[in-house]
Amino acid sequence: MKIDTASYKLKETKQIEKAALFVGAVGLALIFLGYYSNPNQFFYSYLTAYTFWITIGLGGLFLTMLHHLSGAVWSVVLRRIIEAIMKTLPIMAILFIPVGFGIHSLYHWSHTDLVANDAVLQKKSLYLNQGFFLARTLFYFLIWFLLSRTLHKVSIEQDEAFDASQIRKMRKVSAYGMILFGLTVTFAGFDWLMSLDAHWYSTIFGVYFFAGSLVAIISFLILVSLFLGSKAILSDIITVEHYHDLGKLLFAFTVFWAYMAFSQYFLIWYANIPEETIWFMHRWEGSWKIVTMILVLGHFVVPFFALIIRGTKRNLRILGIMAVWMLVMHWVDLYWIVLPSLDHHGVHLSWMDAAGVIGIGGVFVRIFIRRLKADPIIPINDPSLQNSINFINS
Amino acid sequence: MRSESGTYNQIGLHSQETPLITGNQTFASVTDAISEIIERKTPRLWYLAIAFSSSLMIMFFVLIGYLIWEGIGIWGINVPVGWGWAIVNFVFWVGIGHAGTLISAILFLLRQRWRTSINRFAEAMTLFAVICAMIFPAIHVGRIWVAYWMFPLPNQMDMWPNFRSPLIWDVFAVSTYFTVSLLFWYVGLIPDLATLRDRAKSRLRKILLGIFSLGWRGGNRQWKHYELAYLLLAGLSTPLVLSVHSVVSTDFATSVLPGWHTTIFPPYFVAGAIFSGFAMVMTLSIIARKVFKLEDFITIGHFEKMSKIMLLTGMMVGYAYSIEFFMAWYSGNDYEAFAFLNRAFGPYAWAYWIMITCNVVVPQVFWFRKLRTSIPVLFVSSILINVGMWFERFVIVVSSLSRDFLPSSWGYYTPTIYDVGIFVGSFGLFLTLFLLFVRFLPIIAVSEIKGVLPQADPHYGKEH
Repeated sequence: MKIDTASYKLKETKQIEKAALFVGAVGLALIFLGYYSNPNQFFYSYLTAYTFWITIGLGGLFLTMLHHLSGAVWSVVLRRIIEAIMKTLPIMAILFIPVGFGIHSLYHWSHTDLVANDAVLQKKSLYLNQGFFLARTLFYFLIWFLLSRTLHKVSIEQDEAFDASQIRKMRKVSAYGMILFGLTVTFAGFDWLMSLDAHWYSTIFGVYFFAGSLVAIISFLILVSLFLGSKAILSDIITVEHYHDLGKLLFAFTVFWAYMAFSQYFLIWYANIPEETIWFMHRWEGSWKIVTMILVLGHFVVPFFALIIRGTKRNLRILGIMAVWMLVMHWVDLYWIVLPSLDHHGVHLSWMDAAGVIGIGGVFVRIFIRRLKADPIIPINDPSLQNSINFINS
Repeated sequence: MRSESGTYNQIGLHSQETPLITGNQTFASVTDAISEIIERKTPRLWYLAIAFSSSLMIMFFVLIGYLIWEGIGIWGINVPVGWGWAIVNFVFWVGIGHAGTLISAILFLLRQRWRTSINRFAEAMTLFAVICAMIFPAIHVGRIWVAYWMFPLPNQMDMWPNFRSPLIWDVFAVSTYFTVSLLFWYVGLIPDLATLRDRAKSRLRKILLGIFSLGWRGGNRQWKHYELAYLLLAGLSTPLVLSVHSVVSTDFATSVLPGWHTTIFPPYFVAGAIFSGFAMVMTLSIIARKVFKLEDFITIGHFEKMSKIMLLTGMMVGYAYSIEFFMAWYSGNDYEAFAFLNRAFGPYAWAYWIMITCNVVVPQVFWFRKLRTSIPVLFVSSILINVGMWFERFVIVVSSLSRDFLPSSWGYYTPTIYDVGIFVGSFGLFLTLFLLFVRFLPIIAVSEIKGVLPQADPHYGKEH
């Protein structure tokens, strides 16, 4: 992979695209084969893997809008990478289809016969039913597609010729886009993950889901930048100063996640109402206890002390390790949310868990690289580009 | 930039930032403009204002005296509404006390340089609001002479506060917040106090300011240490901005009461606190700007940025209202559903809709540049937002308590004249403290303002 110094576009990406496609195809083929051996395991592993990658894509949409709304300068050099991550969303929509087929395996509320004997689920059936669930998901993807397309289109127009109206347009779209994003992500979290336990509810769950995606996007962004840097692409544009800021954000979002996770746990623990505590009980039985402790330590305590140090954020090797670590923890978080619904007595790691992450990941990376190479890799006409390149943490 | 810097220099235009401070200020003119406010003869308007506010303050203390003498029975509280205006006022004032530290700590970490124009008096406002807040739970304990039992003091009776009670966490959270905010505010004041000391004409003034400026000389080494200390204090204050109102929210959310027990409470309370805090900063800064002619320092741009933060936090609050409502239905729990329907359509519906109008509808005016750059619009909406935020706490506290699990005890809560008097009186205390502040201390951070002037750039005046 190289960069074309005239157009600032990536070139010679065929090899990596092929590799990603190969890995993705093998992973997906394996996990789809798994369907025939254990369909329930397949759907749960797939949902975990799927939410892992889609939260990165959603994080891309969020960061793009946040960048425009805040008028940040330092992140201009990262804008195109973030936009390319955002642009994976439309194709990721297609990969949701297996989840749609798995409704009966995943979601208890989809069995009308069971609901008929359950007074609580009957009340919810207006919301939790197959048709409305799929329609909502379709609606979420439609919103995400329209937002990412508009934001990307205006951004590309800027490469042709700069016009101040483009900045205003992107800011405007981001302003109402943020509201739509907030609501769609919340309800996607409710639908896809919270309703796995159809009786359980928590008002903070949408924000918790969103907090996880923030950790994931920053980690992914750090790794992409490091990877490009290792190929001598943008290595003197994305400087240690930008990594320092990314490290700060990774720290901040990790703490934000912990704040949400703790609020949810603590209030439910303290009030001790059985219909709420059951969700945490399921994650405190048998070997799930270990996963819970890994999550507390690995998703908060370790990164908190590691990333609070200035040196960690400016040492690219350690920052890279922390980014990988946090992505793993993000997966553990989702695994811990999803899999107890399959068996809450203990953890049963399956090869399909890995196959799913690798399979969808391969496809995700391929789409991402193709989006990244389609346009100049830095917004060449952004008025703040020079300031962003020269940015220094004071 | 290493080897290829030449290539990259050709791409991208330099962005033009609008100046934060207008009126072609120099370092000297900034010092003069802000110091002059407190060095000139006390204006008659100030005496009138403080006469008014201190009368209210005296009423506040007299009523508190009567409360202590007579007992909290003089309030409208009863079973099951055991918490009334006092707790509403407590949460209201603590909430207002959030903007100061957010502006001084979080906006500092986020490199928002516009905060320099408003941070000093926002921090002062924070301190005064927290003082008002702390009074309410203290007088609510009834036997105020044993209020010190709230602190874990070793004693021969071997009695300790209940560490599992959120109310005791409040004691720690709020007092920590107050202490750190005070330190932060004072550290920020030191260079300015030294400036005033150097300008002082009377001997007494020189000595006093000399003591409080801690021997500040403005040397290079002093500044280096100072800025590091400031950064560390900002870092330490940041979790406090979030923790205080999160802890306040646990007063409600750890219970099992429908409408109180919901997991979104901590972030929702923090967003609401920032929302109301900024509204109060807006109200006060509009007045201060006009009275002290600070148009060059607090520009329309500052108000625009504040109104955007209010729009954001207002929508977070609106988000929480909607999610709570949705979840009350989604939970399938009859009591949850009832609590929320009762809020919106029950006996306190009037308060609920005032809350929705002021907190959700009113901030929508900030979408329009024309409206968010209009001082009258900003002034009115900032006051309405604080009205709405007071009602939010009222709705939470009273509507849930007045409809408890036993329908036989249901009733309608009405405040008494003492509830109203003490609440109104607390504004007297707040305003008195604020008036003393604007009279005796620099209301804008002189040294920080200088840092955002174009002259502060090391390359100022040099050709590239």
